[in-house]
Amino acid sequence: MQGGILLPRLDRAGLIFGAVALGLAILIPILNLIVPTDSAFHVPPHVVALMGKYLCYALLALSVDLVWGYCGILSLGHGAFFALGGYAMGMYLMRQIGPRGMYGHPTLPDFMVFLNWQELPWYWLGFDQFWFAAIMVLLAPGLLAGLLGWLAFRSRVTGVYLSIITQAMTFALLLAFFRNDMGFGGNNGLTDFKDILGAPLQADGTRSALFAASAIALAFGFILCRWIVRSKLGRVLVAIRDAESRTRFLGYRVEQYKLLVFVTSACMAGVAGALYVPQVGIINPGEFSPANSIEAVIWVAVGGRGTLIGSVIGAVLVNFGKTLLTNALPEIWLFALGGLFIAVTLFLPRGIVGLWTGYWAKRREKQAASIATQPVTEGS
Amino acid sequence: MMLTKPDPQHTQLYLDGVSVSFDGFRALNNLSLIIMPGEMRAIIGPNGAGKTTMMDVITGKTKPDRGTILFDGDTNLTEMDEAGIATLGIGRKFQKPTVFESHTVWDNIDLALAGRRGPFATLFHRDGADDDRILAILETIRLSGRRDVLAGALSHGQKQWLEIGMLLAQEPKLLLVDEPVAGMTDAETAETARLLREIAQTRSVVVVEHDMTFVRDLDVKVTVLHEGSVLSDGSLDHVSADPRVIEVYLGR
Amino acid sequence: MRILLLLLSLLVTPLVWAQATGPLIDALGADDFAAREQALTALTETDDPAIVPALKALENGQLYRRLSDDKVVIGQEQGESITLTDPLTGEALGTQAAGDLERIRVNNRLRRAIDASLGALTLRSPDAAVRQSAADAVFVSRDAATLPLLETALAAETDARVKRSLEQARAAILLADATLGTDDKLSAIAIIADKGGQAALALLSPLTSSTEPAVAKAATEAVRLIENKLAWAAAAQNVIYGLSLGSVLLLAAIGLAVTFGVMGVINMAHGEMVMLGAYTTFVVQEIIRAHAPGLFDWSLLIALPLAFVVAGGIGILIERGVIRFLYGRPLETLLATWGLSLVLQQAVRSIFGPTNMEVGNPAWMAGAFQVGEVTITYGRMWIFLFGLMVFAALMLLLRRTPLGLQMRAVTQNRSMARAMGIRTARVDALTFGLGSGIAGLAGVALSQIDNVSPNLGQGYIIDSFMIVIFGGVGNLWGTLVGALSLGIVNKLLEPLAGAVLGKILVLVGIILFIQARPRGLFALKGRAIEH
Repeated sequence: MQGGILLPRLDRAGLIFGAVALGLAILIPILNLIVPTDSAFHVPPHVVALMGKYLCYALLALSVDLVWGYCGILSLGHGAFFALGGYAMGMYLMRQIGPRGMYGHPTLPDFMVFLNWQELPWYWLGFDQFWFAAIMVLLAPGLLAGLLGWLAFRSRVTGVYLSIITQAMTFALLLAFFRNDMGFGGNNGLTDFKDILGAPLQADGTRSALFAASAIALAFGFILCRWIVRSKLGRVLVAIRDAESRTRFLGYRVEQYKLLVFVTSACMAGVAGALYVPQVGIINPGEFSPANSIEAVIWVAVGGRGTLIGSVIGAVLVNFGKTLLTNALPEIWLFALGGLFIAVTLFLPRGIVGLWTGYWAKRREKQAASIATQPVTEGS
Repeated sequence: MMLTKPDPQHTQLYLDGVSVSFDGFRALNNLSLIIMPGEMRAIIGPNGAGKTTMMDVITGKTKPDRGTILFDGDTNLTEMDEAGIATLGIGRKFQKPTVFESHTVWDNIDLALAGRRGPFATLFHRDGADDDRILAILETIRLSGRRDVLAGALSHGQKQWLEIGMLLAQEPKLLLVDEPVAGMTDAETAETARLLREIAQTRSVVVVEHDMTFVRDLDVKVTVLHEGSVLSDGSLDHVSADPRVIEVYLGR
Repeated sequence: MRILLLLLSLLVTPLVWAQATGPLIDALGADDFAAREQALTALTETDDPAIVPALKALENGQLYRRLSDDKVVIGQEQGESITLTDPLTGEALGTQAAGDLERIRVNNRLRRAIDASLGALTLRSPDAAVRQSAADAVFVSRDAATLPLLETALAAETDARVKRSLEQARAAILLADATLGTDDKLSAIAIIADKGGQAALALLSPLTSSTEPAVAKAATEAVRLIENKLAWAAAAQNVIYGLSLGSVLLLAAIGLAVTFGVMGVINMAHGEMVMLGAYTTFVVQEIIRAHAPGLFDWSLLIALPLAFVVAGGIGILIERGVIRFLYGRPLETLLATWGLSLVLQQAVRSIFGPTNMEVGNPAWMAGAFQVGEVTITYGRMWIFLFGLMVFAALMLLLRRTPLGLQMRAVTQNRSMARAMGIRTARVDALTFGLGSGIAGLAGVALSQIDNVSPNLGQGYIIDSFMIVIFGGVGNLWGTLVGALSLGIVNKLLEPLAGAVLGKILVLVGIILFIQARPRGLFALKGRAIEH
C-alpha cells in the first residue's frame, strides 16, 4: 500500500524473483568466464547458450500466462510475436554482417544478392542501427497484436474462436515468411550472423552477456507482470476472465483491457524472440509454426496458469526435458509432449504451482489469496 | 393504462414501440413502458414473455429492431454499448448470481465502485482510497464478516446479496433486477425484499420476478408482460383480477 | 487366332484393295527417291486407307525392305533385332536381324509428299472421327499443298461437324495467302473467329495490324471476342478447380462440423483422423497388392468402411478416454486433443516411417474428360461427388434417424434429454465417433490426391476450423457453402496472387470476416446460443 503512483509497487515475490534472476545473470557468466575450465564449477559455453535459450522461452511463457492465466485469452499465436521480435533482431544482425557475406556485397544480405536484388527493400532500412531494431522488436509484435486484438475484441470474438483466429494468424505468417519475395530470406530465414553491437557472437563473453541480458529481461518481465496483476487492473482482468459480461455491465470497456494486456504481452514475447535469435544464431519461418505457439501454452499449463512463476518453471522444466529426451530418445519426445498435454489437462489442471499451493493451503487450512486461483467457469 | 403517448421528459426510463425478433420469433413486440425517477416496478409474466430480452435491450446487450429507449428523458440507449450504459447509471442483476468467484467479497465491491473505468486509471489506481465506501456497502448487504472470503465460497443467497451490493457500489440511477429470490429460503426472500425497498428509496428499481409472495411483499405497481408486450398493469390485486392475465397464467 | 485376325481385317479393309496395293507398297522399296515418289503417288491414287500405317511408318523411319525377298515391311527396333509386321494386314512377321533389312530413307521432298498423301487419305477416310482429326491436323499444319485435297473433301463431306472443321482448315490456309482478296479474307476471319481458342488467336493476331483497314478491324474484333471467350473458359476452369478444392475442404471439415459444430468439442486431432483414414487405404491396398491384385480397382470401396470404422473407433476411444472429462472446458479440450494429435502422428511415424506412402489410383480415378474448353479429371469429379454424398448421408442421418434425433436432443438440452431417458454419454461417444469416422472417409479420398504422410492431417486442421466457423458453427449447410465458396475464392485468387499469397489472403479474409460476423455466415441468432 505504499510507493508512488508511477513506480511499480514491488511485492515480495517480484523482488525475490528479480534478485534470483540478477544473481543468475552475474553468477553464470562468472562460472563460465572466470572459473577455470577444469573446475567442477565451470559452466561450458554451450550450457550458457542453452540456459539463455530457456530463459527466453520462460519470458515467452510469462507473456502467454499474462493473457491466458489472468485474462482468459488463450492465444495460439504468441509464437508469431516471438518470431517477429526475432526477425527484427535478425535483420539487425544481418545488416551487421555488412560486406563480410559470402557474396561480399557491401549492404545487401547474401540471400538478396542470390535473388538478384539490386537494393535493400524499404522495410530493411534503419535496421543497421541497434536502437531502431530494438524499437521494432517491440513495435512489430505490438502493432500486429494491436490490430488483431482491436478487431477481435471489438467484435467480441472470445474463447476458442479467438484461439483459432490467433492460430490462423501465425499460420498465415508462416506461409508469408516462406515466400522469397517477402524479403526475409524465405525458407532459410536469416542466419550466418557475425556480431552484435560490435561483439562477435561466437565469443564466450558475448554469450555470457546475452545470457545475462535474457535473465535481466526475464526479471523485468516478471516484475512488470506482477505489477499489472496486483493492480486494480489485474483484478479487472481476472474479473473479465471469470465473468466477462458482468464486468461489462459494471461499466468496464472489456475490449480496452484485453487490448492493453494483449499488446503488452505481445511486446514481451517480441523481446523474448529478439534475445533468442542471437543465442541460437538463426531465425526462420519455422518459428511461426502453430505447433510452437501451442507448445508455449503447455509450458504455462504445466507450471500452473495464472501464477506467473509457474509459467517460468514450466518453460524451463519442459524444455530441459525436451533437451534430455531429444538427445537420448528422439522418437519418444513427441509421445512425451503429447502425453504431457493430455496428462496436465486431465490430472493437473492447476499445474505444478497449483499442486504446491494447494498442498500448503490444505496443510495450513488457509487460503492463498494473493495468488489468483483457477477460474471456476470459462467465460460467461 | 395510458392511452395517449406520454412525454418522455422527466421519466427515468422510457421505452416506446420496442421490437426484437430472433429468427422470426418476436421476443419483444411493440413494447412500451415508462419508469419514473424513484419508482419501483415489478414485472411479471409467463416464460417467454420477453422479460429477460427487455433487460437485454435496456442494458445494450441486444439491439432492438425498432423502437425508442430513452434514459433520463433524453439519452438514447439504443446507440450505446453495455459499458457506456452502465456508466450512465443503469445497473443490472442477472437471473443467475454472477459475481467474480475468484475474487474476495471485498474486491468484488471494490471493482464495482463508481469511479474511472479506463485501463490506465485502474493500472495506477491506489488501493485504500475507497475503503470507507466499501465498508459501508458491506454493512448494508450484511457481509462485513466475510470480506476476505472468496466470492465462490459464498452461499447462493450471499452471492445474490453480494451482487446487489456490487450494484449499489455502482451508484446507479436505475437498477434492473432479474429474479432476485430464485432459489432463496423464505427468510432470505424476506431479507431481500427489505434490501430492495431500502435501495429503492434513492433510485428507480425494476424487478422481474416469478415469486408472487415476493411481489406482494414489495407492494409496488406491477406490469404483466405477455408475448413481448404489456398485457396489463396496476396494483397486484388489480392485475390478478384482470381476466386476460388469468387466462394467460391459467388458461390453455 | 490368325483366322480371327483375318476376319477382323476383312471387316475393316476390303480384301480386294489389299491384293491390289500389295505390289505398290513393295515399290516403295525402290533405289532412288524419284522412284519412291512415283510409288507414293500411285499408292495415294488407290484411295485405300489401309496404306496409312505404311506411310506413317515410312515417315517415322520404320519402313524396311527385306533384303531376302524385297518385301517392304514395318519394323520395330528391339535392340539388335527388328520385329516385323505386314504393312497392310498388320500381321506379325517374326523377328529378323538388323543386317537382313534396309531402312527406306526419305528426303524432305518425299516427306512433304507423304504428309499430303496422308492428309488426303485420312480426309477421305470412311470414319468421320478420322476425317475430323485429319481436318484438325490440317488446321494446325496450314500446308497450302493440301488445299486441293481439302476442296475435294469439302465437296464430298456430309458430316456437319467435320464440314465445319474442314472449312476452318481451309480458311486457315487461305489466310496465309497474301494475294487473297479482301472479301475472302473477311469471310476466312469470320470462320476462324467462330472456331475460337488459342490457335485461332495466334492466326488472327498478326492480321490486326493488316494494311487493309477492313481486315484489321474484323481481325481486332475477332481477337477481342476470342479473348473474351478464353477468359470465360479460364474462369470456368478455375471455378471447377475451386469446386474440386472446395469438395476436398468439405470432406475434411464436415466431420469437424459434427464434433465442433454440433457437439462443441474442439478436436485438434481431427486432422489425424483424416490421416488414419488415408493410412487405412494404404494398408488395404498393400494387402490387395499382395494377395488379390485383381481387386485393386475395388480398393477404395473396400477401404471406405474400414477407414470409417478405424477412425470412428479411435474417435470413440478418445471421447471415452479424454474428452468426456473435459466437457464445458473448451480450452482444455483444445490442449488435450492437440496432445493426442502429436501422439497419433508419432505413432504412425513409428509404425510406417516418416516418408510418404505410395497409394495408387484405381483405373476409374485416372484420366480426364473435356467439357468445352474445360478439363475435368475423373479423380476430382469422384471426390466432388463423394463429398456431396457424404454430406447428404450425414444430413439424412441427423434428420431422419432415431440416433440423429437423440444427437440433436442432447446438444440442444443435455439435462432434458437425460431426463427423457436418452443415454447422453452413449450419444456423446457415438456423435464423436461419427465425426471422426467421417474424417476417416475424407482420408480415403485425400489419399488419392495428397501425400500420405504422418503430417497429412496437419495441413487441413486450420482450414477445416476456419470453414466451420466461417459457415456458422452448428450449421451443416453453412459448412457446405463455406467449403465450396472458400475453395472457389482460393482458386480464383491464385492466378492473380499466386498460390501461397492467395491462401494467405483467404486466411486474412476469414479472420476479418469473423470480426464482422463472429457467428459466421449462417448465424443462429438469439438467446439460445449464449452459453
